[in-house]
Amino acid sequence: MKAHQPNSSNTLVLRLPMWRSRVVLFLMFMGFCALLGRAFWIQGPGNDFYAEKGKRVNRVIALPSVRGKILDRNGAILATSLEAKTIIAYPEMIPDDLSANKITALAKLLKMSESELKKKLIDSKNQLYLRRQVEPNVAAKIKELSIPGVVITSEYRRYYPEGESMSHIVGFTDIQDKGQDGMELSNDESLSGKDGQKHVVIDRLGRVVDDLGDYQPPRHGKDLQLSVDSKIQSISYDAVKKAVIDNRAKAGSAIVIDSYTGEVLAMANYPSYDPNNRSSMTGDQLRNRVLTDTFEPGSTMKPLTVALSLEKGLIKPTTQMQIGHLQIGKKVITDTHPYPSLNISQIIQKSSNIGTSRIALQMEPEDMWTMFQSVGFGQVPKVGFKGAVAGIVRPYEKWGKLDQATMSFGYGVSTSLFQLGRSYTVFARDGELVPLSMFKVDKPPVGTRVFSPKTAIDMRYMMELVTLEGGTAIKAQVPGYRVGGKTGTAHKSMGKSGYASNKYHAFFVGIAPISNPRLVVAVMVDEPTAGSHYGGDVAAPVFSTITGSALRSLGVAPDATLKELVQNVDTSLTQKVALKR
Amino acid sequence: MNRAVVILILALMTCSLMLVYSQQRSRMLYAEKNRLENRQNRLNQEWSRLEYEQRELSKSSRIVSIATKQLHMKEPKQDKTIYVKEKAQ
Repeated sequence: MKAHQPNSSNTLVLRLPMWRSRVVLFLMFMGFCALLGRAFWIQGPGNDFYAEKGKRVNRVIALPSVRGKILDRNGAILATSLEAKTIIAYPEMIPDDLSANKITALAKLLKMSESELKKKLIDSKNQLYLRRQVEPNVAAKIKELSIPGVVITSEYRRYYPEGESMSHIVGFTDIQDKGQDGMELSNDESLSGKDGQKHVVIDRLGRVVDDLGDYQPPRHGKDLQLSVDSKIQSISYDAVKKAVIDNRAKAGSAIVIDSYTGEVLAMANYPSYDPNNRSSMTGDQLRNRVLTDTFEPGSTMKPLTVALSLEKGLIKPTTQMQIGHLQIGKKVITDTHPYPSLNISQIIQKSSNIGTSRIALQMEPEDMWTMFQSVGFGQVPKVGFKGAVAGIVRPYEKWGKLDQATMSFGYGVSTSLFQLGRSYTVFARDGELVPLSMFKVDKPPVGTRVFSPKTAIDMRYMMELVTLEGGTAIKAQVPGYRVGGKTGTAHKSMGKSGYASNKYHAFFVGIAPISNPRLVVAVMVDEPTAGSHYGGDVAAPVFSTITGSALRSLGVAPDATLKELVQNVDTSLTQKVALKR
Repeated sequence: MNRAVVILILALMTCSLMLVYSQQRSRMLYAEKNRLENRQNRLNQEWSRLEYEQRELSKSSRIVSIATKQLHMKEPKQDKTIYVKEKAQ
């Protein structure tokens, strides 16, 4: 047993001096202290160095969002965002001994003078935008120069393929991609996106190797589809432009409305501007006159007055009326040509002020006022455009006899061309006023009844007479189609000083085809000065051009001489045509 | 006892190596994903650019001007047009 017991005396003999273990313990303790101290240093005061190192591998990358496109009714692009390059310089990083050739080349590519570029570089301390929205090929050439401190980044730039013909509808954005006018402004919120970002780790070679979590995907802007047909718009713009130039006028506008759906197919103004290049733009070119300018509609008001009287049962299209001479107070109402007597259809066809006044004076002012309101005069049209105006219809309590008479032929009331065009949808749609839309409509909207279908149809036939022999607007005729409308020639109001004797607005508002109306087209030419100033001579031809092309483009069958035009083709040909479809 | 330790050590080493490998692989895949995303963006941009170019070339004002000026085309007159009416079925 004894031998198996540990030999306590032996251990005592082998015992080392106590201090040696103390020293080891102390050294280990010191070692830990050093580590702790180091850890403290790295976490605390000495952190900057490592934070700097960390930044190199740890980066926040911006994920740019793209602004939504604007499309026409057929999906054609009206506005789109494309990548463009931005040239940024960090002046302190540009070497002083940079070769002169490179500076010259850079200045040339940036389209600046050399001295201008040098001044910019000297003046600024921080990063400096040398040029934004540079074409990709120019950016590539700048990259080839490989100047240290000149960096190229990507941004988006807005492009408008339709240019000046569509600019008032679409509008434009500023350099920060914010909408400034037209649809770009009124739908800015849905069109603009939100940039995203991600936090990543990159390796020595700059490749992204890991994701650190907080990923925010970019939210791209929504596309916007308008009701406009770019082909009809282009036709309308060209026609308005030609009319303004040919008549040496100040301005011109036109609006084309699809009376089935209330969609605006075209809205053109001249003068206009190119939204891709806005360097020489003035306020005059910017105005979307169809919506922002009001004027007295002149004789284009007459069909509404006559329709109201028909509706009240006071007259019939065939009612014969004494015209003669009409004086209200001191004011004499005049016609261009004197007529002793006309029937109601002829009053419209010949555009008689006296006749219309006599019809109006049989009615109550309140009824006329209610009718003006119910066709949308005096109210801001709800069309989603900033800057649309209401026009003026004074309260009927303040009307005198003279006011009532002049309003019946469109003086003393003001509207925009948009409102005037819209009011004619009551004739095109058998008495219903339809809300207009700038956006593509899925199902036809519900109209508000203003007149009975019979009144509307009677008015359409009267308005057709305007474009036939003996009417004021023979030039409005469209080959193959029956059209109708009303001319207007109004002295321009000069505010308090009354009316200008030699300044006019020329109008034509029309409907086509008469047998089954599809389009309402309103045209206005401001201050025509070359030759005639009458609506029938100045605005009616514009109506004819626009309507003819628009009807063909929409594939509306001709209704005028259809019987003569349609040949009795044999069935084999019809089948061939059907097969080709 | 010893054998168990050896197996566990081997398992531990395998796991550690697999961890290194999977980390590396995840980084490679992430880099690949990123590369593809960038490519997608570039292709989207290219698509937008081509779409714009197509629109620019096919807009009606350009067609009209080429048709009338270069090709001397005219709109057909009414009397030269044959309208074909579809038979009611």
